[in-house]
Amino acid sequence: MAIQALTKEPFNMVIAGVGGQGNVLLSAFVGNALLNKGYMISVADTFGVSQRGGSVASHIKISKDTLYSSVTLNGQADVLLGMEPVETLRVLGEFGNPEVITIVNPRPVYPTGGVSYPDLEKVKEAIEQLSAKTSYVNATEVALSMGNPILANIILLGALVGANLLPINKDDMMPILEERFPGKILETNIQAFEKGMAMIAEA
Amino acid sequence: MSDIAMDKPGASVLLMGNEAVARGVLEAGVSVAAGYPGSPSSEVLPAIASVAKKMNIHAEWSTNEKVATEVAGGASFAGLRSFAVMKQNGANVAADFIVNLNMTGIGEGGMVIFISDDPGGMTSNNEEDSRTAAKWLDNPLMEASSAHEAKEMIKWAYEVSEAVNLMVYVRGVTRISYTKSNVTLGELPKAKEKKAYFPEVWDMYSPKKSKFTSGPFPIFHKPLHEKLDKAREIFETSEFNKYWGPEKPELLLITCGACTSYCVEAVQQLAADKKVGILKLGTTWPLPEKLVAKHLKTTKQVFFVEEMDPFVERSVMELAAANLPETCELTFFGARSGHLTPFNEMSTNLVIDALTDILNLEYQERDPEYSKTAQELVQVVPARPINMCPGCPHRATFWAVKTALKLDGRNGFLCGDIGCYSMGFAGPGFFQSRTMHAMGSGAGVASGLGNLVQFGFDQPVLAMCGDSTFFHAVMPALVNGVYNKSNFTLLVVDNSATAMTGFQPHPGTGKLANGDTAPTVDIEAVCKAAGATVEVCDPFDLRNATQILLRMMKTEIGTNVVIMKHMCQLVMTREKIPNQYKMRVDPDKCLSDECGCNNLCTRLFGCPGLMLDKETNKARIDEALCVGCGLCTDVCPAGAIIREEVK
Amino acid sequence: MSSDGKGIKDLVEEVMNEGLCTGCGACITGCPYVVSHEGRIVVLDKCTGVEGNGDCYRHCPRTLTDFEALSRKILGMSFAETEIGHYENVWMVRSTVPGVAERSQDGGCVTTLLSLALEEGLVDVVSCSKMDEDRSPHGYLARTREELLSCAGSSYEASYSLEAYRSLEKDSQEKIAVVGLGCQTEALSKIKNQPPKNNPDPQNIKLTIGLFCGWALLPKTFHPFLKDICDVSNVCKFDIPHTPHYSFDALMDRNGKIHSVPLDEIKPYINPACGYCWDMTAELSDISIGSAGSSYPGWNTIVARTPAGVELLKLAEQKKLLAIHDLPEERLNHLKTAALNRKKKALKNIVEKTGSKTDLLYIDGLKPEYTEKLIES
Repeated sequence: MAIQALTKEPFNMVIAGVGGQGNVLLSAFVGNALLNKGYMISVADTFGVSQRGGSVASHIKISKDTLYSSVTLNGQADVLLGMEPVETLRVLGEFGNPEVITIVNPRPVYPTGGVSYPDLEKVKEAIEQLSAKTSYVNATEVALSMGNPILANIILLGALVGANLLPINKDDMMPILEERFPGKILETNIQAFEKGMAMIAEA
Repeated sequence: MSDIAMDKPGASVLLMGNEAVARGVLEAGVSVAAGYPGSPSSEVLPAIASVAKKMNIHAEWSTNEKVATEVAGGASFAGLRSFAVMKQNGANVAADFIVNLNMTGIGEGGMVIFISDDPGGMTSNNEEDSRTAAKWLDNPLMEASSAHEAKEMIKWAYEVSEAVNLMVYVRGVTRISYTKSNVTLGELPKAKEKKAYFPEVWDMYSPKKSKFTSGPFPIFHKPLHEKLDKAREIFETSEFNKYWGPEKPELLLITCGACTSYCVEAVQQLAADKKVGILKLGTTWPLPEKLVAKHLKTTKQVFFVEEMDPFVERSVMELAAANLPETCELTFFGARSGHLTPFNEMSTNLVIDALTDILNLEYQERDPEYSKTAQELVQVVPARPINMCPGCPHRATFWAVKTALKLDGRNGFLCGDIGCYSMGFAGPGFFQSRTMHAMGSGAGVASGLGNLVQFGFDQPVLAMCGDSTFFHAVMPALVNGVYNKSNFTLLVVDNSATAMTGFQPHPGTGKLANGDTAPTVDIEAVCKAAGATVEVCDPFDLRNATQILLRMMKTEIGTNVVIMKHMCQLVMTREKIPNQYKMRVDPDKCLSDECGCNNLCTRLFGCPGLMLDKETNKARIDEALCVGCGLCTDVCPAGAIIREEVK
Repeated sequence: MSSDGKGIKDLVEEVMNEGLCTGCGACITGCPYVVSHEGRIVVLDKCTGVEGNGDCYRHCPRTLTDFEALSRKILGMSFAETEIGHYENVWMVRSTVPGVAERSQDGGCVTTLLSLALEEGLVDVVSCSKMDEDRSPHGYLARTREELLSCAGSSYEASYSLEAYRSLEKDSQEKIAVVGLGCQTEALSKIKNQPPKNNPDPQNIKLTIGLFCGWALLPKTFHPFLKDICDVSNVCKFDIPHTPHYSFDALMDRNGKIHSVPLDEIKPYINPACGYCWDMTAELSDISIGSAGSSYPGWNTIVARTPAGVELLKLAEQKKLLAIHDLPEERLNHLKTAALNRKKKALKNIVEKTGSKTDLLYIDGLKPEYTEKLIES
């Protein structure tokens, strides 16, 4: 199988979110699809206590032929998938650069313990200012309308694949979705995935 | 997520480091695997257990790491390859057995222990470097630099273990354990045919001491050191030790484990591969001295990159001292020189920073103007404190503890322990835990404090532990308290799960590691049998839980136990047990920041399912997060949070 | 003591930690941060940043209190710079209702008047205090004569009776009577003057009965002492009889036995905060009732201060529930002397504490000449 060269070697993707949003599942999906295409992949998730409502960033480092460490070098993210606005901005502060392309779910997850959330419009402006291109995908809203907020991550996966930023397409994702979601839930998840693809096309 | 027992040699699959270790255990033909959950190593045993029946393996969650190591030891004595897994703290718990096991040596079956350390303390409350245990207990030590290498190293570790008749440590770290990367599968062994047999049975006609009884010590200690020397010889030619770079590098970078890829990347980023040579050590104790000495001769500058303790750094400097005067011109960089730190996680960027300093190189992360803007713009990003999940019973318990301690008014306090409820030391647990150390230390420390009446001590003492922790190390402390007439109250927060590390079963859950049903060890019965005064309650009944605590604190003699029983919300979600309520806030009743409330629910109670709506300045249920446990209704002073039963 | 944005933290610092807390219960406002428990006020958690002053702070009788404003609000006139405050009449009174006097402190007047108020529909509920089985008092809402009778008698401890008023639902329309000591009627006056945010409209408080008070005992220290001298669960009444010598008596229910200890043994358990109280006769109430300093055994002294108070007394006399006589001049003077001495003693203690004759801790809004005179004499 001929491996498509990457636009950059290695290519760095970061998924930013909050514990419980499903980063880990998402990074595994993307990682497996890329591995099936023959790439060398390193995926780092933060586990344990970070699952409990803290900031979570998953890093996926993709190479044609070399196994690298998993964590993105400072200022070297190529694609950023933000599941939550301030988490997206947090990651841009550390890993952003003038070329980074950002897809973001604009629905905030509010911190607890009396910590206040900044003005959402300001956060969005900052994200746009720090990204070469910013696309908004209202994943949580659509997921809630589909009856389950957790579908937001599959919608975002659809948006990511639909954005054609990685050398994977819908056909590459299908076997992975089929394996992970047996039975009835598969259909709902495919619907969510397709909605995400449609939303990024319009964004 | 791939089938860990997939029989496809040569296939490349995406595996987490912990899964790769498990695969290595399978490929090595191990018969018995035991462990105690602890991140970052928690996923190894479940991966083995998931295929245990298919592969004819006995995989078990032991009650603690010492027992796990003993279980593996027993299997080794009976001639089987055995495996134990734990996090860095586990090395300490297991140490007392290991120090004696090293006296007798293992059985015919090789024995490997995988310990994952946690640089940066991402999932721990300490940053112990467990490698030192290999040194002081006298065990061969290897360090994996990737998931794939961890798998290969585990297999080879069995060969070394059997060759030198010692247990072998393989050390991982969080970034190895939790990184998913390409792993190439190897052969799985054919069906095991070896019968387990304990060879040292008593022969009445020629009685002699069994090999597996330690002591007298000098007789055993000398062979132990001979075994280590033999391990060192084997390590000299290990293919897990590698060198990349020029024959005579300007700088020799010596690294090991997860730091290897940081070093490779750093040298690549700086385009310094003509100047810097990388000696990557896979076997770090005993140090392969001949190999290292050979490389020391090729350079004048040596730079050590490793996480936490300068373990290799010290070994190599000791070697350099032994090889004086030929090493007298060497300059060393590393933790000792201050170029790196003996704490926190290593990263490619830290290695780059050190290399630019040592070699006087230039490096730019990104456009400086962009960096400046980014730094300004991220100022608005708030901290996101970790929290207990929506619906977590610990929140209820801590609320009851907080209320009871204040009402009691005698400066009582809580000795905390290790688990999700460790968050009791911070905001999510209302800062109630005033001590927190090792597993079981809460009860142990409380047992000590509860016996100080003769010195004028008059504060009520509470201790807390989870159900899994109870079995791990609290039982001895509880028995100690009862026996020594210590006056304290132990709260067993029984949520039917080892929740922090990923819901591993334990003796109280009625399930085995492989999913089979098991006898349930009843915590209440155990406590009663120990002679403690026991009460069981649901912490969601806040009033009752508070009253029980108040009553218990008033008893001036004896050891009490309150079992706070309520299932972990995540377990309820996993097992599809619905909550009772649909929650909403009546904005007309909500007082928000007014006198009589002052945002009690969002400011102090702090369930992630509640938020302060900025536009209306009223509390609101976040329907994406709320699980409908209903607890906040009992906390709201204005009756504004309404729970409606879901039919 | 300026007063903006202050709450329980400031109350703790300025009042509780300074030994000024009288245990009146005014700060227990249905607020989730402050509760009473076993005779103590307990702050459960931090509350800061409420806009304006919190009710707990505004209504405390030991934060800055404008007595002139309160007098105008409650009595409709300027603060009477006299020994026992403004009054319409002073009488000596006893209950003629069978079964009341025996259970009550002296004349049984409080119970009788409140029963009457309930029965006549003048009020729907009485916020008072009741003793637990272990004889520790707590706020209690009585809506019937029987419930009132269960509250009769004195515990000699601060009783948080205002906690009961504050436990009423915010939108309750019930007409309320409140019984309280000097500190409590002061707090209640502050509540009326600055209506609370989360309690019933204080306009619903139709009757305030003040109780004479020289001091109250601290439950935290007194209760353990009490437990040592008698079986508290059997006590039916506490008393401080005037003759032959002052003593503290606990009358046991079952056997009629009296445990008597010299009053001096009780004194260490007096709340030190009472030393700063200058209001022996609960001047800011409709009716003040007591026995100390004035009465014959079995009789109460009643100070009727407002028209509402006078009317209720007249009604009780009409219905032959009370026997009423004029208080002899010499007894009245006795009462006045005692009340004046309390004022002087309190001001002396206050000045000693603040080191200033103008900073009088909580006493504010009065003419300096008046307070100066009390301090000098």
